[in-house]
Amino acid sequence: MLSRINQKIAVILAILAGFYLLLSFNLPKYPNAIIDADVVPKGLGLLLLFFAVLLYFDKKEETEAEKLKRTITKENVLLLVAVLVFILIYIFLLEIIGFLIMTALFIFGCSLFLGYRKHVTNAIVSVVFSLVIYGLFNYLLKINLPAGIIPL
Amino acid sequence: MDAFQGLMSGFQVAFSLEGVLFVFIGVFVGTFIGMMPGLGPISAIAIMIPITYSMDPTVALVMMAGVYYGAIFGGSSSSILLNAPGVAGTVATAFDGYPMAQQGKAGKALAIAAIASFTGGTVSVILLMLFTPILSAVAVSFGPAEYFALMFLGLTAISSLSDGSTIKAFISATLGFIVVTIGIDSQTGTSRFTFGNPNLLEGIDFLVIALGLFALAEVSTLVLNRKDNSMSDNKEIGSLRLSKEDVKEMSGPMTRQSFLGFLIGVLPGAGATIASFIAYITEKKLAKKPEEFGKGSIKGLAAPETANNAATGGAFVPLLSLGIPGSGTTAVLLGAFLVLGVQPGPLLIQDRPEVFWGIIASMYIGNIFLLILNLPLIPYIARVLRIPRPLLISLVIIFSLIGVYAISLNTFDLYMLVAFGIIGFLMRMFSFPAAPFILAFILGGMMEQAFRQTLTISNGSLAIFMDKPIALTLIIVSLLTILFPMFTGRKKFNTKNDAGKPL
Repeated sequence: MLSRINQKIAVILAILAGFYLLLSFNLPKYPNAIIDADVVPKGLGLLLLFFAVLLYFDKKEETEAEKLKRTITKENVLLLVAVLVFILIYIFLLEIIGFLIMTALFIFGCSLFLGYRKHVTNAIVSVVFSLVIYGLFNYLLKINLPAGIIPL
Repeated sequence: MDAFQGLMSGFQVAFSLEGVLFVFIGVFVGTFIGMMPGLGPISAIAIMIPITYSMDPTVALVMMAGVYYGAIFGGSSSSILLNAPGVAGTVATAFDGYPMAQQGKAGKALAIAAIASFTGGTVSVILLMLFTPILSAVAVSFGPAEYFALMFLGLTAISSLSDGSTIKAFISATLGFIVVTIGIDSQTGTSRFTFGNPNLLEGIDFLVIALGLFALAEVSTLVLNRKDNSMSDNKEIGSLRLSKEDVKEMSGPMTRQSFLGFLIGVLPGAGATIASFIAYITEKKLAKKPEEFGKGSIKGLAAPETANNAATGGAFVPLLSLGIPGSGTTAVLLGAFLVLGVQPGPLLIQDRPEVFWGIIASMYIGNIFLLILNLPLIPYIARVLRIPRPLLISLVIIFSLIGVYAISLNTFDLYMLVAFGIIGFLMRMFSFPAAPFILAFILGGMMEQAFRQTLTISNGSLAIFMDKPIALTLIIVSLLTILFPMFTGRKKFNTKNDAGKPL
């Protein structure tokens, strides 16, 4: 029996390999190099294609544990997507609003969303954590995290 | 400088106030993160890297080594207390450790684990100290061909030894290698696969890969399992005391597995996980009462615990003497070295003796700290496991984001981090091991360079690999490690646990 999921993955990988090979063949040539910059990428593209073909014809069946690993309930998918959206909003606003406010909001909001109900503890942790990290990086390590709208 | 003098100067570094403090911090943080089910040494090291940016390299690396073996050690505590190994290397610890804890002897189990780890760790540091300079001396004569062959062997070995499908492991390694070709080619200056994006010219930072593929992907697993309440269990751990008979029973496995574990750790591809399983299996075969194994046997607990810590020391041998990591974890550790401007390899002992001997000396001290941490403090450390998961998830996400932002100071890398987090999650979902990916990513750049240098020397002829006996032997061994599992359908270690991953 063919494990169909692996075949689907193999097709995706083969397309990826093809795209990568296409790009590799279009790399600019450098006349004086004995081994030019395109040699290794070409080899890697072919290798990936080869493994994709092997995976397509691999007869090994999926184990129960593997099947279980990729079954995720709809509720959980939505949850992961929501956390992903939180992260993207955080990144987008990080340099505009600033590290302190965004980090405190993220920790509080994300923990609350994931079901943490001790609001006072949550608030204290998110504020203290943001302040400590901000202080550690800006004053001790001299790496400036974005201050944003707070003039610190 | 001879070894004794070197070690003495190393102890000077390690015993300085800074040295002791940061070994302690490293071991403590490592134990802490290693205990969290799902978070392993790779995440622990990657999360700590940004903190080391402005530190003295020696002190920083001493701390990183502490994080590494602390994380392996911490994993054993959650294996014993919760049957939830934080690290794949401690899966075998749970076989006998958890039954013991269920019998109300958690304290005793933790004490055995602590002593076994201490023994394995200390013996392996001694062996590491003896072996590394010898191997370094041999490796000084290596040219690019030998280096290429060595790295090739490391890559094929970890791929064929990792959990699950061998083909998937090789695909994972190839993808890691492909990702590292993004950016300006160091030899010709050609920009490759950057799509005109200036952010990609320098390539993708390894921290983006390490934190995305491991920390963020592990977070998504934590999100899925957030309702697991085992962490809030309020268990009595019982007495830590061991009887004379217990110690006697432990001594056999501890002696044997210290050496065996070290040797397995030195081999590329094999690491703490494989060492601990082999230790468990051999001790079961040697035992007079094998039927006790799995029901709380002292030997069954002492053996894997000794071996995984011994293997951790062994894994430092190729890293320090050749500059070539043999596992995903040591690959990330190599990344940490490079961030700090230290190039491990045969010249490390000569050029930076204070780094080399400082790390070794700190490992002696680190092992003592681990013993101190794990014996009397265990009841308090166990409370760490009760940190509510929603809060833990948010904090790990923030740590990963800050880590990447602190090196790049732009948000482009943060989006890349998220992208690799998603890739890491998908890889987990479809059972592609992530360790070969990170190892290929770290080795890829070096391998390509060595490969092209070799072929430049020979004017483009592959026959040069035939003329170099060491390189040829290594390549033949690598090819055998590829072909053997692919065509025999050999059964692999079944770690029986999805939380773990090959180290």
